[in-house]
Amino acid sequence: MTKRNWLLPAIVGIVAVALPFIVQGDYYRHILILVLVWITLGTAWNLLGGYCGCVSFGHAAFFGLGAYGAGLLVFHAGISPWWGMIVGPAVAVIIGIPIGLITFRLRGPYFALAMLALGEIFRLVFTNWVSATNGAVGILIIPAFTSKVAYYFIGLAIAAAGIYTVYRLMHSKLGYYFVSIREDQDAAEALGIPTTKYKMYALIPSALLTGLAGAFYMNYMAYIEPGVVFSLPEISIMMILVTMVGGAGTLWGPVLGGALYVILAELFRTTFGAANVLVFGIIVCLIIMYLPDGFIGDWPKLKGYFRRGRKASYAGGE
Amino acid sequence: MFGEMEKNSFSMAYDDLGDKTTINGRKIELLFEDGQGKPDIAKSAAEKLVHSDKVDMISGGYSSACTFPIAGAAQTMGVPFLDSTGAADKITTQGWEWVFRGTAAPASHYTGALFDFYDNVMHPKTTALMYENTDFGTSSADGYKAICEAKGIEVVFDEAYEAGAVDFKPMLMKAKAANPETCYVISYVMDASLIIKQARELDWNVDLFVGGAAGWTMPEFLENAKDASEYVASTTLWVPNVAWPGVSEYYNGYIAKYGKKPDYHGAQAYGTMQIIVDALNNAKEISYEGIRQSLLEINPTTVMGPIKLENWSDEFGHNYTNQNRPTTYVVQWQKGVLEVIWPEAAKSANYVCPVPKWSERK
Amino acid sequence: MVIFGQTFICGILLGGIYAIIAIGMTLIMGVMKIINLAHGALMMVGMYISYCLFTYCGGIDPYIAMFLSGACLFGIGYLIQKYSIEKVSGVETILPESQVLLTVGIMLVLTEAIRLIFKSDYRSVAPWYSGTSFFVGDMSISIPMLIGFGIAMAFVFVLHLFLTRTDLGRSVRATAQDRDAATYMGINSKRVTNFTFGLGSALAAVGGTLLLPIYYLFPDIGHAVLAKCFIITILGGMGSTMGALFGGLALGVAESFGATYWAMGYKDVVGLIIFIVVLLFLPGGFKSLTKR
Repeated sequence: MTKRNWLLPAIVGIVAVALPFIVQGDYYRHILILVLVWITLGTAWNLLGGYCGCVSFGHAAFFGLGAYGAGLLVFHAGISPWWGMIVGPAVAVIIGIPIGLITFRLRGPYFALAMLALGEIFRLVFTNWVSATNGAVGILIIPAFTSKVAYYFIGLAIAAAGIYTVYRLMHSKLGYYFVSIREDQDAAEALGIPTTKYKMYALIPSALLTGLAGAFYMNYMAYIEPGVVFSLPEISIMMILVTMVGGAGTLWGPVLGGALYVILAELFRTTFGAANVLVFGIIVCLIIMYLPDGFIGDWPKLKGYFRRGRKASYAGGE
Repeated sequence: MFGEMEKNSFSMAYDDLGDKTTINGRKIELLFEDGQGKPDIAKSAAEKLVHSDKVDMISGGYSSACTFPIAGAAQTMGVPFLDSTGAADKITTQGWEWVFRGTAAPASHYTGALFDFYDNVMHPKTTALMYENTDFGTSSADGYKAICEAKGIEVVFDEAYEAGAVDFKPMLMKAKAANPETCYVISYVMDASLIIKQARELDWNVDLFVGGAAGWTMPEFLENAKDASEYVASTTLWVPNVAWPGVSEYYNGYIAKYGKKPDYHGAQAYGTMQIIVDALNNAKEISYEGIRQSLLEINPTTVMGPIKLENWSDEFGHNYTNQNRPTTYVVQWQKGVLEVIWPEAAKSANYVCPVPKWSERK
Repeated sequence: MVIFGQTFICGILLGGIYAIIAIGMTLIMGVMKIINLAHGALMMVGMYISYCLFTYCGGIDPYIAMFLSGACLFGIGYLIQKYSIEKVSGVETILPESQVLLTVGIMLVLTEAIRLIFKSDYRSVAPWYSGTSFFVGDMSISIPMLIGFGIAMAFVFVLHLFLTRTDLGRSVRATAQDRDAATYMGINSKRVTNFTFGLGSALAAVGGTLLLPIYYLFPDIGHAVLAKCFIITILGGMGSTMGALFGGLALGVAESFGATYWAMGYKDVVGLIIFIVVLLFLPGGFKSLTKR
């Protein structure tokens, strides 16, 4: 790795660690923590969806499983939900494996819809199976820390670990397999790559990271209910939009997307009140129409818009 | 619908209380935040009000799903929270000293007057129970079931449903087949309208059709169910013709100002504002602890009746903190007007029970 | 026995109405090869138009309003396809799913715009026949549901004629079968695609309006119906109108039986399970069954 490649992440890292001390006020720290959660979620989805090409519309299933993995420990056994940070992701992976085995035979939109249906099934089951999950009443715990700074660093650790994992995976042989599956699954098969096995290798870290974010969510928000953590529009679809807006198949895309989403959503909520989702929807449409590879993915194109004077710059690049 | 009604009522109370809202020269400022009906946003909004806007106390809370996290957040932050509507029992059974509930009764106690009516008038032996599978629906249903068991009334049919269904007939058919004398259905307004209309389509007759608050008492229920609403009874915490001071001024004033009729949710908001102003006037100092102490001391009379925030226990082992004891009424739609039919002392019309069958009406 | 019959009837009637909405989606899916996640929102807009026609324009009956609403949605759909979705089709991107996600964005915009205008309040229309029913033996049949079912079937029939007997209809089917071949044959595929999107949206508006007298209206109504639509579309086979018809009826009946014999709360799970089973074991849907 060249020195140039290390510089940007190092700067980002230093800023990230310093942020909770620069930014005063629990409300703003809360926003930062949400940003970290969404960065994690985007990165997790991106591994399976952006890099490996399996667009899942049902990742909320893993998020909810992670969250309930932690919450049910308290609900049924009175065990501290911090153990959920291990149990949650484990449950997400254990259930993720058979899900993958079933759904990986499907391609493209069919796979997307199957995952969507699964996400919804989990939501309905967790809502109606009251004895097991407390149903729509949800699970409330008393948060362990009052200071948000502690949560921020845990969230930061999770997000950083997620990004690093994806980085290592994509720079290994596995990464090449993932991309080849995305680009042309049949050609990959023809070359002898066992696509289901490699898709599974993408799914497992993806589910694990999503579940981990879920368990963290339980510990931080201190309240979950099936309608929130298994939500199709709020979680599943947002995970996709966050990644797409930032740039699918790029490392920093989900980071940018996650930050943009949380900050814009909160900004719009306080300025536009009820119209915030509308504004967000319009932005999403515009991005998909004009920057279909997201901000990071279409970075060269964006740069091009800003440098109109130099017409010959495209070929040479920057 | 509810959110606006409550917000308008809070504002109206604020205006009506005029001078009382200026305490020691400082005017009370109302800041509204919209939780958008989502529990996590509600929690964030509460935290923003406390940390960013530095409010002295918070109030509000409509759906139990949103109110509970707000209460939890208030408890954690050590800020007084006065719940106006959120009814789930657990909001005041946690032993949280910062959480108060004055104008709302715990969900399991919505039925006080109803069971009184059962004991004195109806003596039913069987009942059917249907409810939406949310926090509010489930809490209310559990409360109803427990009391029925204690009184020896058999619940012959018990089913939860997901709100927003188009076709309730599968569920209603089964209820009809179980042949109960009465029923208790906990729904919000649109489901309630569909349920009663479809019950009529199925020709399902009971001695008295009872809806569990919320949807069944709203003016929109009458608008949507039209004459299917006739003789439907419900339990409620407030009616426009109840005898507390200031009620008719609130009711008529609200209609004049906003063009719509308020129901008990609006009264709860109005009453809550009255409690807040009283507490702030009474507080020895405007601080979290000062306000908290004040809330414990005061005993104001509001449009919902006299309020005392105290600790008490009920016969089912619930221990409530900072909770006002509920006053409930049984009401019945008669000729498009919601009349109070029980208790005798508060009634505005005689009850009709058993009600005429669908085929005998009109 | 009564319960069985009643369940079946409720299921069929409601299923028929869902079918007409789903047919709109399957047409679009067949021609454009994308899942139109904005379909529910388009239906919702159609319902609001009908609502306004009833409430503010002197009580125009929904069964008449549906034609106007359908025409409006045809226009709206056409414009959306021409100026927005078309931009994204065929563009080389990392993920081919950007078209689908654009429809998600459109769904958000439509839903929130309506919410801004009409708020989240529940609204309903109550024409004189709303809530009326008659009895066949011990089973109750709702009149607006029966009428809705009848009209839905009429539209299916007319649509079938259109697709098989008219040139434009046959162009639609040709484009759905093989876009390039259709272009070689002289069909303007772009025009056909725009037309089909408009037609699909119009059908959604009609179906939604049929629901109006039996249900109620709020901005998020699109979500629940959307889920049912693509279950029906997959059940029936992408692009097959007859398949969508049978898929709709099947889903309606299955949900009804689920509600009666399992539990009301789990009724939607029935559809989802069927959906996954079909996806796994019969990916071509009913359509593939008939081409043996």
